Amino acid sequence: MTEIGVRRLRGPGPALSGALACAAGFALLGWPSLFAAALGLELFGAGFWTWARAAEDRREQLPRWAWLRRPALALWLAAGLDAIGGEHGLGALAPLSTPVGALARVGAIAVLWGALELMASLPLARPASVRPGPLSAAGPWLPVMLPGAGFILLWRHADHWTRVPEVRAAAVVLLLVSAALASLRAFSRREWTSSLRWLVITDCVLAGALLALRAVPEDTALLLWMGACGGHALLLAGELSGAKARRGEQPRRLWQVAVWISLASLSLPNIATLGSGGPASARPLLALTAAAAAAFASHVSVRQMVPAPERRTIPRKESAVPLAQVGVLGVLVAGPLALLFAWWGGFEPRAVDALASLIPAVIGGWTAGLVANPLSPRQTAWVAVIGKASRYVALVLFHGLLALEAALRRMLRRIALAVGAPARDLHTGDAQEYLLFLAGVAVLAVVLPLLR
Amino acid sequence: MTASRVGFEWAPLIGSTLGTIPFPLPADLVSPTGGMTPLATSAAGALGLMVTAVVLLRTERRGWLALIPFIVLVSLGLAIANAPFAAAGGGPIAAALVAATLARDRRDPLHAECALKLLWVIGPALALSWAGLLLLTLTTGTPVPVEQWAVLALGLDPRFLWITALPLALLAGLVLLGGAPFHFLVSDILQGVRPWLAASAVVALQVSGATWLSQRLEGVIGFPEGRELVRSLLGFGAFAALGTGAVTLLVQRRPERRVGTLASLNGGLVLVVLATGRTPAPVDLAAWGAHLALALAGAATVARFLPTFTGQAPGAPLFRRHPWTGIAGLYALASLAGVPGTPGALLWLASARSLAAGGRTALLLVLAAAWLATLTAAMRQWRQAFGVSTTATYAGMSGEQAALVAEAQSTTRVPVEARLALWISALGLVALGAARLWWR
Repeated sequence: MTEIGVRRLRGPGPALSGALACAAGFALLGWPSLFAAALGLELFGAGFWTWARAAEDRREQLPRWAWLRRPALALWLAAGLDAIGGEHGLGALAPLSTPVGALARVGAIAVLWGALELMASLPLARPASVRPGPLSAAGPWLPVMLPGAGFILLWRHADHWTRVPEVRAAAVVLLLVSAALASLRAFSRREWTSSLRWLVITDCVLAGALLALRAVPEDTALLLWMGACGGHALLLAGELSGAKARRGEQPRRLWQVAVWISLASLSLPNIATLGSGGPASARPLLALTAAAAAAFASHVSVRQMVPAPERRTIPRKESAVPLAQVGVLGVLVAGPLALLFAWWGGFEPRAVDALASLIPAVIGGWTAGLVANPLSPRQTAWVAVIGKASRYVALVLFHGLLALEAALRRMLRRIALAVGAPARDLHTGDAQEYLLFLAGVAVLAVVLPLLR
Repeated sequence: MTASRVGFEWAPLIGSTLGTIPFPLPADLVSPTGGMTPLATSAAGALGLMVTAVVLLRTERRGWLALIPFIVLVSLGLAIANAPFAAAGGGPIAAALVAATLARDRRDPLHAECALKLLWVIGPALALSWAGLLLLTLTTGTPVPVEQWAVLALGLDPRFLWITALPLALLAGLVLLGGAPFHFLVSDILQGVRPWLAASAVVALQVSGATWLSQRLEGVIGFPEGRELVRSLLGFGAFAALGTGAVTLLVQRRPERRVGTLASLNGGLVLVVLATGRTPAPVDLAAWGAHLALALAGAATVARFLPTFTGQAPGAPLFRRHPWTGIAGLYALASLAGVPGTPGALLWLASARSLAAGGRTALLLVLAAAWLATLTAAMRQWRQAFGVSTTATYAGMSGEQAALVAEAQSTTRVPVEARLALWISALGLVALGAARLWWR
């Protein structure tokens, strides 16, 4: 059975249409215009919808990805306010009490809202980004695009939201809390692919926090993000095509070292700035949160990459230079190179602070090695008990917070329904009620001016 | 004024092209600055609406009996075209004409219900407004608004008299414009009235309402106390119209009613401009009216072919059999919703800018929220129109079921008149948008 409408439109199939829409969406996100970003996110939503409407499990997929319109709406709002403010002096940040200042703040909140929702970092809407996508071939990988899009949005439009101090402060808190939660979730998952999706979120929010903290130049933050997030995204892609990265001892070791270095590079400026960045930016509690996120993320990245058993009698022929190994080299150098650029650009923490900032990543990597290769039977037992308990604690913490948010969401919904119920009953559709409306409005119109 | 005056730096090219026309364009249609005059703009919109209505009238198969509806359509078209310049008395005439046309067909209960509702609301509203106007005339000794403000500015008359009379005088305009809580009326007309009349009736009433308010408030800017009263009253009205309209839009399920609420929100845009304390210029009013006419013509027509939301379902027949025509219809709906890239977006943006210039931040944010609601509604409508993939739908059925469903759907006819109407409105909107961009 052919689809008449699709045939008449003579367009490509849903898989290609969705891919084209998402590719165009990514391209537009990189354009320095809020309208382009809003259109890009709209195309993202359209791409997922195109895939979902043709999927076999569309009953689950269509509602699952309906939320993708919300970030687009937030960006439309930001773009609209920017278009209005462009002619009314929104260039510099005015005080909140002025109309211009209020519009600038609402615009900044809208940009941040859109990005946080994509990065599964918006309270009350957290786990949306990590469920398998609607395209059967690449479904488990698709969600990786969303936090990536969120970071690109934050990076490209940083001047819109970082200039508002209140928004920036809120962003730091939300992003770091999300980083800790995402790394906890990655730690508590047993499946490597699920953990990788949460690790990608950790990378994106840690890189977003760098932008909010203004710890390093924006382009350096991009390079750090590319190293960390790119590494995990490549690993996930590799997992879906035969776990190539984990086949063979040397490639696996190389990947472990590369993702560890990229994560350590990403966490270093965050922890150094929050821990000892001077009175304006030092926030010890948030530094501890970032440290926890970095430790858990490095632990999972190193520990979960266990060797993949080779079941094939005749190994598949590989190209002389496998693409995965080219990728790992990029991941390996991106982090240190970015830190070098950051230092060149003015990020100069004291040596002791820099070393201290590396401790969480070192702890994460060291414990991962300990778990993988225990030195004695006693240590094996000890590691098993601690590992099980800590995994359970992580699970409880994550689900506890999600349950709390769900309860809050339900409560808000009930309040909205309770408030809206009388309004719904107000309109019955009878002709007489229009006369009542008119009488009510007429009385209001006469009384209101007298009350002024 | 000759055709060679059209345009700026393009004038020589356009002049050489249009100069070959053996007669000059009428002075009423081309302004000295090179743009379209308000009359030309509103006439273009009215003409587009009238043509779509006449095309849709053919689906009624009335034969020579179609003469009376044709006369009604021409009258409504003239009322819309002349609205920016007409006297405020045009509103009652348009309302009476619509009500009489609706009441004419006794066998149609929906028409009768709409006529009844119109009379119930607009009759008393006009009575109250006339009472307010008479009170103002009595207080100031003149029926001319500009003179009334000048007299009131002297401060010789009792204050409570005119602050009671002025809101009452504006009431009819608010009702005709379809601002909340009267947005249900617009939805009722679009849902219950036949396709050939629905859009024309709504546009005629809304344009009359905008004219009523604009002419009533002409020159109020010169009377500070009156301007403040108008700012606060119509600000409140705009707040209610936009806020209530936005919330209503998100919970509505019938496409015709959604289009009605979108039309009501477009009425709210006029209230927004008036809430800044100034009246819209005739050229702005004409552009608003022309856009409303063209967009509503397409949106009201396409709404008849859109599915009422009942969950995941295959696309509507129009969108499976004639997808490009469906897209043309949805373009009109998108323009009504102010989706960026459509002429409607320019109107929403202009209203928002007037609020920013007037320092009305809270109302501006409500306008932004309403715009987001319209975008959401438009996107939902697009997705529901195309529905889920029929290939995927048929995959879950047995061969016999799939054949039966396919046969039922393939026989669902989409009248050629409706398709033509959708294309006329879409092309009209594109032309309107291009003209606005060209002469901006």
